[in-house]
Amino acid sequence: MSKVSHELPLLKSSALTLMNFVHAYRINILGLLMGVMFGFLMSRAGATTFDFHVKLFLFEDLQLLKVIGTAVIVAMLGVFMLKKLHINALATGTEVDFVKKPYQQGLIAGAFLFGIGWAMTAACPGTIPAMIAEGKIGAVFSLIGLLLGTLAYGILQSFIAHNGSYRAAMK
Amino acid sequence: MEVTVWSGWLAGLAIGLFVVLHFWLIGKPAGCSTGYGNVCGLLCKKVRYYHEGEYATKSNIKLWFLVGIPLGGLLAALTSKGAWQMSFDMGMYEQILPQSDAAKAIWLMFGGMLLGFGARLAGACTTGHALVGGAMLNPPSLLAGAVFFGSALLTTQLLFNT
Repeated sequence: MSKVSHELPLLKSSALTLMNFVHAYRINILGLLMGVMFGFLMSRAGATTFDFHVKLFLFEDLQLLKVIGTAVIVAMLGVFMLKKLHINALATGTEVDFVKKPYQQGLIAGAFLFGIGWAMTAACPGTIPAMIAEGKIGAVFSLIGLLLGTLAYGILQSFIAHNGSYRAAMK
Repeated sequence: MEVTVWSGWLAGLAIGLFVVLHFWLIGKPAGCSTGYGNVCGLLCKKVRYYHEGEYATKSNIKLWFLVGIPLGGLLAALTSKGAWQMSFDMGMYEQILPQSDAAKAIWLMFGGMLLGFGARLAGACTTGHALVGGAMLNPPSLLAGAVFFGSALLTTQLLFNT
């Protein structure tokens, strides 16, 4: 019985490893790239600039209203087309899932608190990481607050789910 | 350094196409704020809520999308005119906020808490509700989007005009 070598040349072996890695993590890699694109566009749209938010709500400069208005209409047409053509998603090969956020108790109260936070920080969860990367120190504090607020919600939900028992909620 | 800003129509067109591209590539709606739940789960092992249900897997697309955003922001800043620099300047907010850095930091942290708690209570943020939910004409998202705008409008008016 002769010994069969499974060793491939280094270049081919590393190329195969890389391809395997990319294939196994393709959804996360695509997510990362989409995030890069999103952050870039948020910055170019002016959504990472403090003054555009203030000027929108004081009706002095409607830049961000133009942005979101155009974006929603373009996206609406695109979603309509995707639905009509029954397009499959490239990453999964299955039909695109247009799952909608349901109405949940507290939606209006939550949205109201969110709006106050928006006006206080001139940011929303999607723009804060981009603002930090642009060198806006203020956004670091917004991020700390954002994580604390998200955490507070999780702690509250854990308590409710375990009937207020600290032991059961935090283990 | 001041970041380059495109015309609103062009940026809106690009973001609209981004939403469609996200649907086509990933097969799910784009969203930002849910990813912060993954981060909380990674940071706090003991909070059950961020280890169950949709947060059972934490290294998922929502988290990696969030990791990508600062890279995009950095790319945008580096391709703008002038050198990259750090600054605590908050533009028009300087007129109404206290001058001490500590007070500004506390103000922003408090605002951030409202964003984080409010987004989870409402189910999504400006991206998930107003942008993507609005594009799908989802009634709860349209309601949430309207309340986001109304409440931010009211707060800004109170801050700057009273």
